[in-house]
Amino acid sequence: MKPYKLVVIGASAGGPRIIKEVLDGTPRLNGAVILVQHMPKFVNKALCESLEKISDSNVKIAEHGEELSSGCIYIAPSELHLTLTDDYRINLSKGEKVHFVCPSIDVTMKSVKEDDSVSKMGIILTGMGKDGAEGLCHMKSVGAVTIAQDEKTSIVYGMPKEAIKAGCVDYQLSTDEIRNKIIAFTGLLKERVF
Amino acid sequence: MEKGVKRVMIVDDDESVISVVKKVLEANGMEVTAVTNGKDCLKELEAGFKGVLLMDVVMPEMDGWDTIREIVKKGLIDHVIISMLTGKDEPDTKMADLKEYVLDYIKKPFKSTDLVKVVNEYLSYLK
Repeated sequence: MKPYKLVVIGASAGGPRIIKEVLDGTPRLNGAVILVQHMPKFVNKALCESLEKISDSNVKIAEHGEELSSGCIYIAPSELHLTLTDDYRINLSKGEKVHFVCPSIDVTMKSVKEDDSVSKMGIILTGMGKDGAEGLCHMKSVGAVTIAQDEKTSIVYGMPKEAIKAGCVDYQLSTDEIRNKIIAFTGLLKERVF
Repeated sequence: MEKGVKRVMIVDDDESVISVVKKVLEANGMEVTAVTNGKDCLKELEAGFKGVLLMDVVMPEMDGWDTIREIVKKGLIDHVIISMLTGKDEPDTKMADLKEYVLDYIKKPFKSTDLVKVVNEYLSYLK
């Protein structure tokens, strides 16, 4: 069953630290969260395990073809681009690097479709470069609430700054404020999903 | 990395930074290797170092970015978590093609407690 709330988060340098701050103590979210973090492949599993300890949501490395579920945080695996199909399944594909990275935040965010039955939120966290800026603008154009991490709490402000420059950011927020915004946006899921 | 061993390499041409980092991390049970340039860092990696790498950016001959580029080119990136440890507020454009390999960016001056927390987190990734 497709989720009614979808959150896409992009992060680069400093991301593991900041993502942990954002998701720390979060309850089971009544929405699906996709996380695109630039990182070496061997870190995928460790990041997944680290986040699993601090959130009540089910954290997993995204698999090709799986349907998104509420209460799950999907980590985009390294070396593959992650896009969403029209029926909210995960598509993983090899492809050219975009902004020198694969997976690219832009690629994932640009695959989010206009669909009134699914509320969407796009978030750009700490990182260098401009990956995510175009993607966030796309998400805004299909009705998403858009957030960039503020300068004060960013480890590297490059990516949030580029998103803000692109003119598509609704809110500039601290890590604590982003956590609260996500929880308020998705609401809570009563039963744990595995 | 052997179970329980917390290995960190500091790559910095400033001996005073090395001294502080060594003192702080060793006091927290970590085994610290210190080198003052990129070439020696590569030698340590080729000799089998696995752990967290704290890399300065501005160094003579081979800067931090070029050192990481060599680490990737030589296939030494697996089992090494890289964080920059630098006085530069923002990464320069030389980092553009290295985003996938640099997990964190610690700015000098840093709080000892913050450094220990970040390094411990990444050491846990290497279990």
